[in-house]
Amino acid sequence: MITLKDKILSGVMKPTRYTGGEMNAVIKDAKSVDIRFGFCFPDVYEIAMSHLGLKVIYHTLNTRSDTWCERVFAPWDDMEKEMRQHGMKLFALESGDEVKDFDILGFTLQYELSYSNIVNMLDLAGIPVLAADRGEEHPIIYGGGLCAYNAEPIADIFDFFMLGEGEEQVHETMEVLKQWKRDGRKSKRELLERLVKIGGIYVPSFYNVDYNEDGTIKSITPNNPNAPEKVLKRVVKDFDATYAPDTIIVPFGEVVHDRVMLEVMRGCMRGCRFCQAGYIYRPLRERKPDTLLGLADRLLSCSGYDEISLASLSTSDFSGLPELTDGLLKITEEKKIGLSLPSLRIDNFSLELMEKVQKVRKTGITFAPEAGTQRMRDVINKNITEENIVESTKLLFAGGWTNVKLYFMIGLPSETDEDVKGIPALAGRVLDQYFAIPKEERAKNINVTISTSSFVPKPFTAFQWVGMNSREELIRKQRLIKENVPSKRIRYTYHDNKTSYLEGVFARGDRRLCKAIIKAVEKGCKFDAWGEFFDFDKWMEAIAECGLDPDFYTARERTYKEVCRGII
Amino acid sequence: MAKYILKYGRDDRVKFISHLDFVRCFHRAVRRSALNFEFSQGFNPHPVMTIAQPMPVGVTSECEYMKVGFVTELDADAIVRELNRAMPPGFMFYAAHKLEAKEIDLTKISRAEYIVEIECEKPCDVSMLMAQEELIVPKKTKSGIKDSDIRPHIFVVEDMGFKDGIQTVKMIVSCGSAYNLKPQTVVEAMAKYCDGFTFTFTASHRRRMMIDDKNVL
Repeated sequence: MITLKDKILSGVMKPTRYTGGEMNAVIKDAKSVDIRFGFCFPDVYEIAMSHLGLKVIYHTLNTRSDTWCERVFAPWDDMEKEMRQHGMKLFALESGDEVKDFDILGFTLQYELSYSNIVNMLDLAGIPVLAADRGEEHPIIYGGGLCAYNAEPIADIFDFFMLGEGEEQVHETMEVLKQWKRDGRKSKRELLERLVKIGGIYVPSFYNVDYNEDGTIKSITPNNPNAPEKVLKRVVKDFDATYAPDTIIVPFGEVVHDRVMLEVMRGCMRGCRFCQAGYIYRPLRERKPDTLLGLADRLLSCSGYDEISLASLSTSDFSGLPELTDGLLKITEEKKIGLSLPSLRIDNFSLELMEKVQKVRKTGITFAPEAGTQRMRDVINKNITEENIVESTKLLFAGGWTNVKLYFMIGLPSETDEDVKGIPALAGRVLDQYFAIPKEERAKNINVTISTSSFVPKPFTAFQWVGMNSREELIRKQRLIKENVPSKRIRYTYHDNKTSYLEGVFARGDRRLCKAIIKAVEKGCKFDAWGEFFDFDKWMEAIAECGLDPDFYTARERTYKEVCRGII
Repeated sequence: MAKYILKYGRDDRVKFISHLDFVRCFHRAVRRSALNFEFSQGFNPHPVMTIAQPMPVGVTSECEYMKVGFVTELDADAIVRELNRAMPPGFMFYAAHKLEAKEIDLTKISRAEYIVEIECEKPCDVSMLMAQEELIVPKKTKSGIKDSDIRPHIFVVEDMGFKDGIQTVKMIVSCGSAYNLKPQTVVEAMAKYCDGFTFTFTASHRRRMMIDDKNVL
């Protein structure tokens, strides 16, 4: 039997992005469940399938017999064209059913540059983009994840947002949704009034936003008696006992993180001032090594993966690391499995560990000093000294590593040209450590790379009030680094600051930006995190046509009095 | 070490998986299974396996073969059962045949039988195709696309009927490392040499693989 889907899939790249049917994907009988749930990741399959949050929510929801959670991803450009040409609507991977008939769609909001894909996916699904335009027949649409903390630029699209960690919240939401359906599905508004009582649920349409003459927000006031004055994020208390999936979908094609990932802890003890994840996932909570070893064993057996890695914001700080890695090495040696380590703080323990794990290959090591001078590092509370870095690289070079990447940010608050020049100077000192080793004892082909990205102030961090450097200023600082690189052995790479600028607009943007996002999508913007699709000029046009000034959101120094994080 | 030939196939659910992805998928199934597969030595150990013919993307099959090794001799039914459990739905393992010596040489596979569905307005009179002395069509080779006479590589083309805009054709053509002819290429020749015949899409199913005119297993 020749089907339309066959014809379409024969003409696109990587068709297994769209076929589903992977090992451990969950298939249920659609008629036997109360709730059809679509977990939407607004990017392509390979990115989406690498996301740990998806794995957690997908499997925890599918432990419920009343709910079938399926995956919904953004089709790549070629597939989208075919789908639009043939009138095929956005579908879920497991059943192939159109998502417009689902009960609820949950978008994970991981980065600001995926907003255009959300609009595009809804359009492709045949669902009105704005919440206000959707009827009772359309699915409930919510967002969760890091960007939900300031989702104002996309607030008009969503019925509600889930703030904080979803493991408990999604189950409570399913209970309310199921009861609402049993009670005869009165109205979406009535459902939202019930949901808002769960805690950690923010319903943007329950609040009115008023602006001052200068464009800043004057007030945010509830317009519904059920809406709380403040919405507090949800935190799972007993992380060790919190649901962690012991099964994992195994993609057919290669994805970015194609391995078993163990979430060893949540939160970070470091407290870097710029790091949104560091603030949002507070407090620090760990899993017990025993729990993790059990999970590792089950995940490896059910997946057949030959690689496992550890995930957290700062794995070096995990207190059970020696015990865990000892246990893991036993498993990996017996099962011929590779243990890949995330970037660890370099000390004698981690070097020894790397020797044990990597055996032969000595690939690159990345350090993140974040700033070039001690003064600047103190400002951002990055507790790492120049001596730490120099000593660590000395150990690395002596151990035979020759590829060192140093990661920095430019445009940090209070940054001077001296701080910027400190970046290439630090790289120079690292290189000196290599040359200090006698020629016959060091490995050949030294390669030190400086990589900089542009600092974007994020809400809920200590820097949420500061202005972002202009693009011109960032370019000047990049040039300053380039001119001061002391040796040809040091390479300098940097991020394009156009994407950082747009990210800066949305990170602290308000509801007025929603029009601009929809307009940009009409102009063809999508996959903005992908260099081949990102079109900065179209974005600037779209924002200007809506009568908005992007610098208003990025460059402005905000006062502490300014209403800048809504009611969350 | 005990060597076995495995016979397997796949259905529509997994037909878009590329050869390399299939190999990786099988490696993972090996790790999921309780079978004592023989592994290669070296830095990245992987199960020892030789696949007779790659499955082209989009093609379903009921007659693929691969040679594998186990540390000890195993019950053939147990191998089949365990692999069917360990592989994702859509792959089927049919038989495991223990090799005593070199009685089956998978590199000698030379022909395959396909059932081809052709989406077209009017069916093709395939006798017109078989009546030609030569069939020159562009064919992909290692050094680019070249005109090639495929007639010597077509052994049987049989019309199996036309219904709802789909003509079904059975064909036996060259397959293997010496010369591999895709069913799609034969249909392209039909469009070139049979008057008035055009098509919009083809879907193929591999039904038999043969060493000369004998089935492999």
